[in-house]
Amino acid sequence: MRIQIAKIIVQIIFLYGILLLGDGIAKVSHLPIPGSIIGLVLLFLALQFHIVKLEWVNLGAGLLTSELLLFFVPSAVGVVQYDQIVGIIGIKLVTVIVLSTIVVMACTGLVADFVQKKGAKKV
Amino acid sequence: MSFIGFVSFIGTIIIFLLSKKVYRKMNWIILSPLLICPLIIIALLLITHTSYEDYNSGATWLSKLLGPATVAFAVPIYKNYALLKEHAKAIGASLITGCAVAIISSFLFALWIGLSNELINSLVPRSITTPIAMDISEIIGGEPTMTAVFVIVTGLTGSIIGPLIIRYIRIRTSAAKGLLLGMGAHGCGTSKAFEIGELEGTYSSLAMIVAALISIVLSDTFFPLLQHYLIG
Repeated sequence: MRIQIAKIIVQIIFLYGILLLGDGIAKVSHLPIPGSIIGLVLLFLALQFHIVKLEWVNLGAGLLTSELLLFFVPSAVGVVQYDQIVGIIGIKLVTVIVLSTIVVMACTGLVADFVQKKGAKKV
Repeated sequence: MSFIGFVSFIGTIIIFLLSKKVYRKMNWIILSPLLICPLIIIALLLITHTSYEDYNSGATWLSKLLGPATVAFAVPIYKNYALLKEHAKAIGASLITGCAVAIISSFLFALWIGLSNELINSLVPRSITTPIAMDISEIIGGEPTMTAVFVIVTGLTGSIIGPLIIRYIRIRTSAAKGLLLGMGAHGCGTSKAFEIGELEGTYSSLAMIVAALISIVLSDTFFPLLQHYLIG
């Protein structure tokens, strides 16, 4: 159990290192892409070319991805700082967000289903 | 870290784990830990007269883990790479559609309901992951901090509405379920997708990343056109 926890912590620190590397590349290259996405691509390539072994990151990555919602909680609490989100404008904003999210999700899902079915019929 | 900061950090984790437990037991969509946990914390801050700054001095360490967590999504993508490659067409087509619809629908609904231009520009990038959404907001003339708030509201909304949409319009394939959650509600949707299954989660992770990249391109090319024709 204790070894497991130590492993997870070391792996998260390792992932943090890759993030910092991604941040550095983003800064130097002036790409409009955040360091976290560059870090993700780097890690993917490193795994693909066997520079990084899966077991070096598997446990830490598993914990971070499965508890992802936790990392959004402080920002969600932070919404209280914004007066704009309450009152009439707040209701309008939330209405737009809800309607637009429904349309986006429905379109994305329908297109994905449609393309897959079309592909399946050809085979 | 101050004492309040330390308590905030540990307390957030404990309240989060408890809300997750309650959510699993009741299995009520509205009890999403992302809704319940912040509400409980807000109530506690109000009761104890603690400011958000004091709370966030410790809790911010949790927000900082969002960075390595994003990097960590390389792992499920790596594990399922062959499958993702096989469905590249469906992924590409649905995400380009999703990104375009996200921009157009936010824009039109916001115009229709009568929001100011600055608010509209802050709303448009809301369905993608925070750092990129804030950058795009800046580029197209929005207010990045407002955008960050809209991103979280979208995540919350999407993780609650997403499963209902899947049921209502009868989405069948794992790919479509994952893609719509990741496209519509970034990391929050992805977390929901992993609840449905490993495969759905992987598609959702990919959707979250690819959608962000497509949005960068669209907000530079397609969005200025919309602005030009609709606001003038």
